Amino acid sequence: MTLEETIRQIVEQVLSQNMESIVGQKEAAETVLSKVEGDCCAVESQDGSLEDITSVRMQEYFKVPNPVDREFYQDMKNTTPAQIGVWRAGGRPLTDTLVRFRAAHATAQDAVLNDVSEAFIREFNLTELQSACRDKDEFLTRPDLGRKLCPKSMEILQQMGKTGAQVQIIVADGLSSTAVETNMPDLLPAFLQGLEQAKISTGTPLFVKYGRVAVMDAIGEALRPEVAIIMLGERPGLANAESLSAYLAYNPRLGMVESERTVVSNIHKGGTPAAEAGAHLVDIVKQILEQKCSGIKLTQR
Amino acid sequence: MVSSISGHQTIISVGLDIGTTTTQLVISRLTIKNVAPGSAVPRMEIIDKEILYRSDIHFTPLKDHDLIDAVAVARIVATEYRAAGLTADEVDTGAVIITGEMAKKDNARNIILSMAGLAGDFVVATAGVNLEAILAGKGSGAARYSKEKHRVTLNIDIGGGTSNIGVFREGRAIDTACLNVGGRLIELERGGDKIVFIAEPAQEVLNQAGLPLAAGDRVSLTDLKTVAQLMAECIVELISTGNLSGLTRELLMTPPLKLDYPVEKVMISGGVADYVYSDFNPMSVAEVSGYGDTGPLLGWAVRKQMKAKGVELLKPGETIRATVIGAGTHSVTLSGSTISVKEENLPMRNVPVISPFPGGVPGDVEEIKTLIERAIEQVTADGSVDQVALAMEGPQEPTFEAIRTLAKGIVRGSKSYLEEDKPLVVVLRKDCAKVLGQSLQVEIGKEAQVVCIDQVRVDEGDYIDIGKPMFGGRVVPVVVKTLVFNSSGIGSK
Repeated sequence: MTLEETIRQIVEQVLSQNMESIVGQKEAAETVLSKVEGDCCAVESQDGSLEDITSVRMQEYFKVPNPVDREFYQDMKNTTPAQIGVWRAGGRPLTDTLVRFRAAHATAQDAVLNDVSEAFIREFNLTELQSACRDKDEFLTRPDLGRKLCPKSMEILQQMGKTGAQVQIIVADGLSSTAVETNMPDLLPAFLQGLEQAKISTGTPLFVKYGRVAVMDAIGEALRPEVAIIMLGERPGLANAESLSAYLAYNPRLGMVESERTVVSNIHKGGTPAAEAGAHLVDIVKQILEQKCSGIKLTQR
Repeated sequence: MVSSISGHQTIISVGLDIGTTTTQLVISRLTIKNVAPGSAVPRMEIIDKEILYRSDIHFTPLKDHDLIDAVAVARIVATEYRAAGLTADEVDTGAVIITGEMAKKDNARNIILSMAGLAGDFVVATAGVNLEAILAGKGSGAARYSKEKHRVTLNIDIGGGTSNIGVFREGRAIDTACLNVGGRLIELERGGDKIVFIAEPAQEVLNQAGLPLAAGDRVSLTDLKTVAQLMAECIVELISTGNLSGLTRELLMTPPLKLDYPVEKVMISGGVADYVYSDFNPMSVAEVSGYGDTGPLLGWAVRKQMKAKGVELLKPGETIRATVIGAGTHSVTLSGSTISVKEENLPMRNVPVISPFPGGVPGDVEEIKTLIERAIEQVTADGSVDQVALAMEGPQEPTFEAIRTLAKGIVRGSKSYLEEDKPLVVVLRKDCAKVLGQSLQVEIGKEAQVVCIDQVRVDEGDYIDIGKPMFGGRVVPVVVKTLVFNSSGIGSK
């Protein structure tokens, strides 16, 4: 065999091996693809409509094929809504996981960008005010304006607002309208029931569109309640867009400092349930009225 | 006591374990802290347990073989308080646990009476075998091991009269059993070879072994070894198979272990444990009978038997003191939420727990009312019980509407009960005790006496004790006494 023939033979051999492995890879890829398609099909229910993938709780979404200790893994998952145990395709997330991630992101965006409905404001008999922001975009880009009331709202407040109440209730959209609409129907009646039982007087309940926490300072300055409480949606995360916070302040006024606020956060199904939070807030109001302070000072008492 | 929301607080807790053979006392300082983040509903938990004082180990003072000399016990406690530099009114809470053979007789009443001045607000005064097994496993460190290492850990507390087995997964007790096997079922002349007393269960072992021994006889080491080995076999059999021999069945005081879980680790505590973990190898009866019983020999036999079965033993943090430490530090949990009860009605002791809604809370006031009425009627009908605790999961979805409905139903259903001016005790699993408590108060109106606590796990058949409120009335110590794990009830005996 000449040298040339030998080289030709080697080259052919190598080429044919490569082809085999390429064919092999293609087959593997097809298997994966068909499996992925299979998974996708599984999502489609019998009447041909797509299942809402966000309806499955992350804690129940477990994709590791052969876990050494399934029970322990599940225990770990139960402690967090984080995306653990979601498995992978090579170094990347499974298509299904990726879609879930994007769905969560979309839910978060909806929560921020949607408005609290008029029907909700009417149902709870809230007096509607607006911060100095003209629209959602300005609300998101100008936090300073979200802390003030627009001139028209200031006027409404002067006319309708009851001054000198023990507790001034304020609801605001904050960064999640979803959180407000989901939690208030259970929180507010529990809160009001408790206040009534404790014979604590309340002012005209207010709703502030495009409102941030410190808008309570402006309202406090105008109405001079003993305590103001503002309940508003928290910035949504990927795990949850329904979380609500309540901030309380004794002697709310312009220029008060952040450490004077008492906060109860994580009010949602997986955190403190809304109705329970309502009753808990009554206890805090009682403490604030009794101690005549809020925030850090209250915890140091 | 300080009453800040965020700060630490400490309480002094005493555990007193009166067992078949020994009586001991442990004084601990429990540090209590709000473990919830500052912005959430406070949850008080015991975060640290420091043992301040361990008493001497006393022989249990007896009037006869199973009647405790309560006055002498009180004397021991008073002496130990003095040695620890403690007065009775410095003690905030504690538990008296009467265990082993002693729990069989009605010793509890006498003890409560004799201890009255020494332990004013003691919460517990009796122990069923299941509770004892759980306390021992918590005191020995088995419960903690199961949580830290994520392994199902089985603790065998071998005492003078009984061997209490507690199985733990992720820190929680999942199964218990009790075997009438212990180191002091045969009493010997101290340092000699004469049998002084043979307890009933030991007699059964002797019969099985075909040894016609009786009190007063002299006994050989070989015969004692045969007896100890038979006892050890019963223990090993109980933890490894559902297929039990006649003798093991005879000696079981509870249903056998369910064993529907893998037993991944085994730990042994109790007085006998010291001889399981040593290299004690007796050559004569005199070497065995140093304490006047066969305890050391049982330890030797258990070690041998475990080794033969290939069971590797974990070393416990505590041996002979495991149960008393468990009693002093683990029996009490704290619960907050809604407490509005007249001082004189606390502490409440041995309140039977009933579950009115085994199929979940109905959505309708009338249905809730009927089920509550029926459940209360069932336990109070014969007049032996005058207090009950209503245990429930809570509404499916804890909405305000569902909570109001539940509150209305409960108050209507317990009308006759409330008329007698008894506090309403509701224990919930779900986090909704504040709002339910508030709603109950609204329903009952003025003078409402309500204890509504959540995140405490109790089941029908349990008993709970509720102590006097602490920390400005915000929390009460609660002791859950779990008596049975199987609904099947009593065991073979």
